Amino acid sequence: MSDLPAGAAYLAYDGTELHAGRGPGRCFMIDARCLHGEPVAGAYAHVCALPDADAALAYDQPEIQQVRRDAMAWWIGLLGDALVCLTTLALDEARYGGAITVTREPVRWEDDPFARIFPGTVVRSDLFCVVTPPAGPVVERYAGVAWPGGTFAPKPGAPS
Amino acid sequence: MTAATVSLEPGQRFPDLDLPDHTGRDRRLSEVAGGDPVVLVFSRGWWCPKEQRHLREMTALQDEFEVAYTRLVVVSVDAPEVQSAFRAGLGARFVFLSDAERRWLEPLGLLEETDTLHEPYRPTAFTLHPDLTIHRAYDGNWYWGRPTAEELRRDMREISRAVRADFER
Repeated sequence: MSDLPAGAAYLAYDGTELHAGRGPGRCFMIDARCLHGEPVAGAYAHVCALPDADAALAYDQPEIQQVRRDAMAWWIGLLGDALVCLTTLALDEARYGGAITVTREPVRWEDDPFARIFPGTVVRSDLFCVVTPPAGPVVERYAGVAWPGGTFAPKPGAPS
Repeated sequence: MTAATVSLEPGQRFPDLDLPDHTGRDRRLSEVAGGDPVVLVFSRGWWCPKEQRHLREMTALQDEFEVAYTRLVVVSVDAPEVQSAFRAGLGARFVFLSDAERRWLEPLGLLEETDTLHEPYRPTAFTLHPDLTIHRAYDGNWYWGRPTAEELRRDMREISRAVRADFER
């Protein structure tokens, strides 16, 4: 696991539960905004990832691009006000380990485009907070941060 | 054109619009920009054949915008649910902002005065720096006044060159 880039946070998944931090379980990097706010109690996290270390693909593979395009095209809209947040799971600056969509209530998980890459498991969690979904159409990542996190905007107070 | 209370000339800062998006979520233009260059399109609405044609051209560009850290935003007076259906029909993955209440029409001076039925926006487009400074403005009342794909590529290149420190290495 590479050093944590700005805008990222660690999240671990052991196959049944999610944990903030690097363990127990397999460690991923997520969009940090999902953990930096008032958590939604008892949320439903659809974890489209596996705890196995070899379950990874290159972020730039066309199918990974396409599931993010599908999220922008219709998945986010389909979730409506039930959506709490979503994040992809980065293993490093180049590898994709899955994605998590978090909602306030059970939704049509069978339609989750990210489940086309790795199968989904619903996990109840108190970790996640509400994040405004990405505006699109940007699906590229910002310096390796897990989509949809990150920005190239200068930090407040930085020299222009 | 109605008298605007803000200047929409190149070099001026575009107002930080606060409008619901096509899903009904409240957005601000600066948040949607997210630190990236923006193409901001004011559209009459889904019913106009010119808008349908022009937005199909914008949709054809979105694959490039996706991989180039640039944003496309459309503003119209259509309600969010109408925009959402129109967006789906286009196959668009960018944001539509709804000014169904017509709050920004007068301050921006962009009322389409020839359409007394819909009271829509005059078709205009702006290319913006990440901080919403206007780079170039286009008046598309006559269809050929709208920016072409090549003009938008040129504008995005010019803005990116100005704001990305490592654009030319």
